Amino acid sequence: MIIAKSLKKSFGDFTAINGIDLEVKKGECFGLLGPNGAGKSTFINMTYGTVKRSGGELSVFGYDPDKNSREIKYRLGVVTQDNALDESLTVLENMQIYCAFIGVQKSERKKRIDDLLEYMNLAHKRDALIQTLSGGMKRRLVFVRALLGRPELLILDEPTTGLDPAVRHLLWGKVKELHQQGTTIVLTTHYMHEAEVLCDRLVIMNQGHVASEGSPQKMIEDNAPGYVGIFNTNDSAKIKSITENNHSYHLHEDISGLYLRTKSLKDLTAFHSDHGLQPLQIRPSNLEDVFLKLTGKELSIDA
Amino acid sequence: MLDSLKLCMHITQRNWMVYKKDLIANISPTVADPALVLVSLGLGLGAFITNVEGMTYMQFLAPGLTVATALFTSFFESSYGFYVRMTFENVYKAMLTTPIGVGEVVMGEMIWVGLKGAVMAVGVAIVLALFGLMTNPWLIPALASVGFLVALPCGAMGLISSAMVNNMNQFQSVYSFLIAPLYFLSGIFFPISQMAKPVRIVAEFFPLIHGVRLAQALFWQRGIGEAFLYSGSILVIQSVVLCTIAYIKIRKKLID
Repeated sequence: MIIAKSLKKSFGDFTAINGIDLEVKKGECFGLLGPNGAGKSTFINMTYGTVKRSGGELSVFGYDPDKNSREIKYRLGVVTQDNALDESLTVLENMQIYCAFIGVQKSERKKRIDDLLEYMNLAHKRDALIQTLSGGMKRRLVFVRALLGRPELLILDEPTTGLDPAVRHLLWGKVKELHQQGTTIVLTTHYMHEAEVLCDRLVIMNQGHVASEGSPQKMIEDNAPGYVGIFNTNDSAKIKSITENNHSYHLHEDISGLYLRTKSLKDLTAFHSDHGLQPLQIRPSNLEDVFLKLTGKELSIDA
Repeated sequence: MLDSLKLCMHITQRNWMVYKKDLIANISPTVADPALVLVSLGLGLGAFITNVEGMTYMQFLAPGLTVATALFTSFFESSYGFYVRMTFENVYKAMLTTPIGVGEVVMGEMIWVGLKGAVMAVGVAIVLALFGLMTNPWLIPALASVGFLVALPCGAMGLISSAMVNNMNQFQSVYSFLIAPLYFLSGIFFPISQMAKPVRIVAEFFPLIHGVRLAQALFWQRGIGEAFLYSGSILVIQSVVLCTIAYIKIRKKLID
């Protein structure tokens, strides 16, 4: 559905995207991960033509977004990073004007809006002004807006940033449902857990490059397999001296703790019993460890 | 093409939906300002001026006020109004995810300010006609076209400044150095022939003076056909040129 070849974008001297190749296939949920400024949103905006590419090729539904963005935009729905709702209008008015923009027949509008408001648990807010809604409600309404056109491709640009866990989990459920119904989804996020829960396949972007690509499991196996023990930073000096020059240990330290990754759970338990070091937590390695490894310090600044 | 026009109208419709929510506040300046000028200058200052081109000062002043209304309503809508929608409310960011493109955004906004200019000019003309300042009130509908034709280029100037300012505060310079001079030096308050030649020549390049000539022709029933042929054509040309520049500038703002 989306094919990018050596895609490039620079803004003046700054290179936002530096030659990426990727393909989003029909029916999959595809994740774009990366720290702020990695080029995720730039890529998203390029798919529907609000950012023009500087080089390479890009096609969406077989169209070039720089030339035929309208054909593309009739077939996709976007959950924009900013809500960008009309604050002075009501929920219903906002959705009605959007139905007009995307060409939903007048006779069909009411039912479609009511159904989607129901689906996102917003039916009771139908006549409320946007400025009276909570952040979570606004976000759910942006989902409604993106779904009004029954899009083949749904783009979610940081859909759950700044939301409480309850709303986040609700939205994850809805995204899973849409995915199961066959909607192709492209998602950008900072939350590794979100990507692990939702995505079939993903890329990690860093400084305009694709740093890694694959399914969440494959990515973990490729980049950070094994188990992670999180230790108190007070033990940092001791642990560092023990693990020095031993390549089977991987260390990462930040304010939240010292992360020690080993190939197996056995290695990790052996490590802490041998040296009398009690970890705060032990867990299988996850995308966050992949992210830390691939993007270096960026994540700790970002998170 | 038809598709595109439909989308433009939806943008106009969106602006109307928002506008009518706060109708009294939105209409107040466009109605109150001309009334204030009419009373203070027309009655107050007018008492000392008995003959301007063979008329009372009130009669001389009246037509220009309809055009001034179109200038202010279109400029403020497309400067402060547009800028807020673009920068703070992100209205266009969301619109551009739909089949709407920058062309439709600019056209939609232009149709909106054009219609607003037309309605306001007619509204003010009705009030002036009630004061007995229009020789033939049947010509009031024709003032809609004058309001529209003035609002288009003035609205385009607003859009261009929206694309050029770095913050809202800077609109004050645009007002002081462009809009206020147009208001005072386009033949609304005194015959333009009173001004030095350079001022008269420069004024010809801006839309307001042509709008004033059209309105005066209609109010005084003097050379209407000629005015539409000459001033009307110039306004159409200025509209096309300024709207094109506005499109190019806004495109640069909305598409990276």
